[in-house]
Amino acid sequence: MKNLFSVYLTIIAMSLFSSSCNKEKYIDEPGNLVPKTVMEDSTLPAISVNGAKLHSEAFGPVDSTLIICIHGGPGGDYRYMLNCKTLATKGYRVVFYDQRGAGLSQRFPKTWYKSQGSDAINKIFYDELKGVIAYYKTSALQKVILLGQSWGAMLATGYTGKYPTEINGLIVAEPGGLKWDDVVDYVAESRSFKLWSETLNDATYIDQFITGKEDQHEILDYKAGLIGSVNAIVGDAGADLGNNAPSYVASRSGAIANAASYELGQDTKPDFSAGINSFTTKTLFIYSSNNKAYPESWATKISSAYPNKEIFKAQGVGHSGMIDQVNFWTTTMEPKIIAYIQSL
Amino acid sequence: MNTFKSIFIIITFSFFQNKSTAQAINWGNISNRNKHLLHVNVGAEYGLTAGLGYHYLVPVKKFPIWIGGEFSTPGGNKPADDFKMRLGAQIRIAAFNHFQFSARVQGISRRYQNQSVTVFNFGSDFAGTLGYYQKHWFGAVEVGFDKAIVTYFKHSDWYKENIYDNVQDGWYEPATGGNFYYGLQGGYSMKKVDFTLKAGKILQQDFESQPLLPFYGQLGVNFRF
Repeated sequence: MKNLFSVYLTIIAMSLFSSSCNKEKYIDEPGNLVPKTVMEDSTLPAISVNGAKLHSEAFGPVDSTLIICIHGGPGGDYRYMLNCKTLATKGYRVVFYDQRGAGLSQRFPKTWYKSQGSDAINKIFYDELKGVIAYYKTSALQKVILLGQSWGAMLATGYTGKYPTEINGLIVAEPGGLKWDDVVDYVAESRSFKLWSETLNDATYIDQFITGKEDQHEILDYKAGLIGSVNAIVGDAGADLGNNAPSYVASRSGAIANAASYELGQDTKPDFSAGINSFTTKTLFIYSSNNKAYPESWATKISSAYPNKEIFKAQGVGHSGMIDQVNFWTTTMEPKIIAYIQSL
Repeated sequence: MNTFKSIFIIITFSFFQNKSTAQAINWGNISNRNKHLLHVNVGAEYGLTAGLGYHYLVPVKKFPIWIGGEFSTPGGNKPADDFKMRLGAQIRIAAFNHFQFSARVQGISRRYQNQSVTVFNFGSDFAGTLGYYQKHWFGAVEVGFDKAIVTYFKHSDWYKENIYDNVQDGWYEPATGGNFYYGLQGGYSMKKVDFTLKAGKILQQDFESQPLLPFYGQLGVNFRF
């Protein structure tokens, strides 16, 4: 038995201290587990706005009505919204951008977000959106329509409330909440996984395989992406972009942007409905039938903040499905949005 | 490839010897007549888990050693997609009256799978336990470090089609992760059965970040024979 114990110790020691002949592969190297951002890949379309280099592109006639697509998260990316690109063929200028710290845009440390203080939401997100609009707007008369989904819808609402005269149309798809308490309630409801569920297990079990410091964005973004792969509660099935997909597949979560934003929210309790009562233009408010966390009662409650609105229930799709499912987009959502814009 | 050879041997041993657990042990009632320790447990460790293990006592005079391993799996509707196996030894290093200090050294192999990726990892777990041990009960503190030394990633077609088409599969090293843990353990012992409980906190190796489930706990039963 003593010999056996010696063998065990030898084996364990060898596994700990021996080196491999393979070329070392690092989990924190950009491009290995997550795609490179615009900071490492100069071939990606990018703009510089508000002190950050953002992954961004636009389609359609440069002087026509701008439709600014605002992705969810915080910490998501615009890839799943690319079905909206078809609006460019209908004569609109469609703009996509990954928010600071999200998607393929430049990363910032958590301390940077926290250092923005009590006015953080304004400095980080509203100023950025203002910069994006300014970058793509070619004349003062060019109309601007915001199209936001989930967190993007909250951001679009907050921005419109702050600058009601600068926005000509507002399309919001399932903003989780507009007042902070509602945001917290929605997040809890949409992530109320059962204790023994595979989803919860998938979220927690990975922590013993991979750990990362707060400045190791590649690691943290990768883990965040694994957690966010599937959420049956909100009824999402994964994006179907059809021919609207770009030639490369590169989607990336922004873990720090997400965590920092949520912490800032807890600290500052932002109200994204502030000022929206002065936006008298009709808002198109969309919610889905397959999102169990967003029943009609919740849609009624959240939409009550908009003084003039049209409520549309997207049948047969989930939280992102009204935009990321190409068939639904083509047959239902795009015609609805065009009709809305033409009604303004 | 020395790492993988040694790892392969570890796995081979773990399968053929069907070994034990990193279980809380009452060092106050070990006996040469009961060299076998079968252990079952449920608890929380990076998820809700259930485990089964076996240890064999090597009675080296002042330094008794329990050699063995355990297998555990977390909850979920896919029981075989995630698991962890530990294989190693727990040795009593020092004893003063009823106070005893023991160390645990284990090799770990573990697997994780979800819609995006299958991850396989080899790691190590070192822990020290200082406690007060009586024949019928014990209480102790433990401090340990769990290191994910080398990890293999194999991404699904879904991941490549929806998230990142140029993801690099393969073995990743140096270490992909590590967590410290510290906590309390205790137990009540009857003639051939111990009921044990341990709980504590997990901290990532940067001493700042926490895992999503930042604590662990385990309720276990030891059968000695």
